[in-house]
Amino acid sequence: MTAYLLRRLLTLVPILLGITVISFGIMKLAPGKPTDVALGFNPKVSLEARERMERLLGLDQPIHIQYLNWLRRVARLDFDRSHVDLRPVRDKILERLPITVTINLWALGLVFGIAVPLGVLAAVRPEGPFDRLTTVFVFVGYSTPGFWLGLLCIAVFGVGLRWFPVSGIHSIDHEAMGLFQRWLDTAWHLVLPVGVMTFVGLAGISRYARSGMIEVLRQDYIRTARAKGLSERSVLFRHGLRNALLPIVTILGLSLPDLIAGSVVMETVFSIPGMGRLFYDAVMARDQNVVMALVTVGALLTLLGNLLADVAYAYADPRIRVGQR
Amino acid sequence: MRPPTRSLMHAIAALAVTLAPFAQGAAESPPASGDTLLVGSIGDASRLLPILATDSASGDIVGLVFNGLLKYNERLEIVGDLAQSWTVSDGGMTITFVLHPNARWHDGVPVTADDVRFTYQKLIDPDVLTPYSSSYELVESVEVLDARTVRVRYREPFAPALESWMMGVMPKHLLEHEDLNTTTFLRRPVGCGPFRFIRWKTGELIELAANPDYFEHRPHIDRYLSRVIPDQATLFLELLTGRVDLAGLTPLQYRRQTDSPYIRERYRKFRYPSFGFTYLGYNLGDRRFADARVRRAFDLAIDKQALIDGVLFGLGTVATGPYPQESWAYDPFMRPQAPDAAEARRLLTEAGWEDRNGDGVLDKNGTPFRFTIITNQGNEVRRQVAELVQRQLGQLGVDVKIRIIEWSTFVHEFIDKRRFEAVLLGWSLSRDPDLYDLFHSSKTGEGEYNFVGYADPEVDRLLEEGRRTFDRDTRQRIYRQVHRRLAEDMPYTFLYVADALPILHARFRNVQATPIGITYNLIEWYVPRAEQRYRRIVP
Repeated sequence: MTAYLLRRLLTLVPILLGITVISFGIMKLAPGKPTDVALGFNPKVSLEARERMERLLGLDQPIHIQYLNWLRRVARLDFDRSHVDLRPVRDKILERLPITVTINLWALGLVFGIAVPLGVLAAVRPEGPFDRLTTVFVFVGYSTPGFWLGLLCIAVFGVGLRWFPVSGIHSIDHEAMGLFQRWLDTAWHLVLPVGVMTFVGLAGISRYARSGMIEVLRQDYIRTARAKGLSERSVLFRHGLRNALLPIVTILGLSLPDLIAGSVVMETVFSIPGMGRLFYDAVMARDQNVVMALVTVGALLTLLGNLLADVAYAYADPRIRVGQR
Repeated sequence: MRPPTRSLMHAIAALAVTLAPFAQGAAESPPASGDTLLVGSIGDASRLLPILATDSASGDIVGLVFNGLLKYNERLEIVGDLAQSWTVSDGGMTITFVLHPNARWHDGVPVTADDVRFTYQKLIDPDVLTPYSSSYELVESVEVLDARTVRVRYREPFAPALESWMMGVMPKHLLEHEDLNTTTFLRRPVGCGPFRFIRWKTGELIELAANPDYFEHRPHIDRYLSRVIPDQATLFLELLTGRVDLAGLTPLQYRRQTDSPYIRERYRKFRYPSFGFTYLGYNLGDRRFADARVRRAFDLAIDKQALIDGVLFGLGTVATGPYPQESWAYDPFMRPQAPDAAEARRLLTEAGWEDRNGDGVLDKNGTPFRFTIITNQGNEVRRQVAELVQRQLGQLGVDVKIRIIEWSTFVHEFIDKRRFEAVLLGWSLSRDPDLYDLFHSSKTGEGEYNFVGYADPEVDRLLEEGRRTFDRDTRQRIYRQVHRRLAEDMPYTFLYVADALPILHARFRNVQATPIGITYNLIEWYVPRAEQRYRRIVP
């Protein structure tokens, strides 16, 4: 197992390098430079001033030199500074990570917590009334545009009923509150965005759980379990569910990079300063250091997530364990 | 789930709202201090240092925390800000500023002539990431005469220079040992303006507090809170719950969505022309557009009022040239021309454009009159204007196509390289009427702003003279001539000046719409004690 893990980890390195080369190339192929945003289309900024800024930011060098400089810094875990607000990229990411991870953990937890039971129960009697009802419910969520649902929820629960705040993640007097009150304040702000994200995300997981469970319930060992005279409850949950959850484990592993990826749409509608907006704004501003840092971290997490899924799967399912004794 | 303080605050706010009369005239003397102004902003600031701030969100905050030597008053006249007095001598070659004796940095240190010199040195320092250096190229020297007097000498007279001294002055004692490109000061600025910086939560809010030692007087409002709300629809919903006091409206929101009793009772809407104009620019290197009769025909064929009514819901004015009516350079004798399709057709015929083959499109020497208007992506108003222009010119027999292009590509691949026939764009201008960069024949290189390729010896001469002249009346005469000449020659078809449409909670008093906006006298705003919403937080 250790040898296998080591081999897998080593292959990550060239893949990651390849991803950064391609991303860097695409950044450079796109029209526009990081200095465009700062200088815009402004007659007060002369051509010389623009060229001087490009020189100061090192953008006048050949692309391969720029890439190697970037790589040298990243090897020391230094992602350089943003061209827009001149802050270290690491600070910008670390500042936004907590809120995004918090929201995603809640949403992911709720999605799995709700969707798996829904799917499993639906699978017990496929095409039965409960199955049909949940199918309609999760697909309404799947088909509704997030921004529209978000605005609708704000209009109903924020403006109409005044149950929840319209946007943001803190009240303006947040700083003056006690610790518990602060926690409550943030939670109160997160109800709508997390709720909408959960509803929109239910469909996929519940479908996986449903089809996995249907598949398992057709297996011979389920018939055997029933023939042994086990209670239906024990058949479903001890013998059926544990096997049906195997593909879910894979999906959980693959969700790892999603934890740090914010939804641009949700963050815009609810005014949440998270990772999604950071990435979107950076792309729009051609802020290449921020874009490259996020792409690299995202790629690394995706690769690790894949590995984690494989390992978890191997652990959960003895049939696919490789080369161990 | 709901924290008690918030519901209590809502209750108090609701009570205050029902009890308080909303009469504007009921002035309180002296004005009560207290309360918070909640400003809704689409974007977050990025650099809070005057010489590095480039986006409007940063500019708004920097403008409250820092002061320049000069500023514009509500009549668009240049008046002293940090400078108590200032004189122009030597035919415009020397400007001497005397600083206000009571001006202090927020840490208590007096503002001196050394700070002014330091700011200038940083502006021209090649290692500082400021885009504004070109405005100071003609400066020969900046001398400190005494602690309060500073003298600027120019190599040649340069009238727009006065505007360049509106740049916020920076504190030398806090910055002289810092690298301005990376200093933490960029996120925690210390200025000398009416508001002190308190905190900045990235992507969420920026908080400022009244500066009790401000040399004019302490602002009556205690606290200025800028909230970042990136979505226009969400921003509007925040207004409906009273968690934003000041925001900009879209024309649609102004006309159709702010007529509810809730909004009318609690908010005031303002409307004033923005400083800038939208135009259709022609590539004058294209032989068809080099013919002035064609440009004149298009000008007559485009119904500008219809654009304003159709796209801006009537919230704008027809432009007759590059200056809005508020500008002293605007020539009041220029009247917007009524659209005249017959005359437009006659001019085109005169220029040789006729529908000879009966396909509904004008032609000349066998070539049909087809061209493409390009504009940038992400501006819904411009897209709609382009479509109306397309229809109006289509009625004339000109086949117009529209192409919408992402901003960076638009600028670099099309504008800079002159790869366009006509372009729909807008300029937002500074208050000084100098248009050298837009229309002087020397400014047609790649990356420069006379991209339509306009060259007229008379306009060149006037623009050069206007830059050398300080006397306001003489300048007025010069720029009115520029206005007339450009309106006759039409390198652009000037379309309209859109209105700025801020909305403000009605509890704020002493607020007026002026050509320079509503926030120019923010330090005079106050909220009568009975209507105040937020508890006092600063002495």
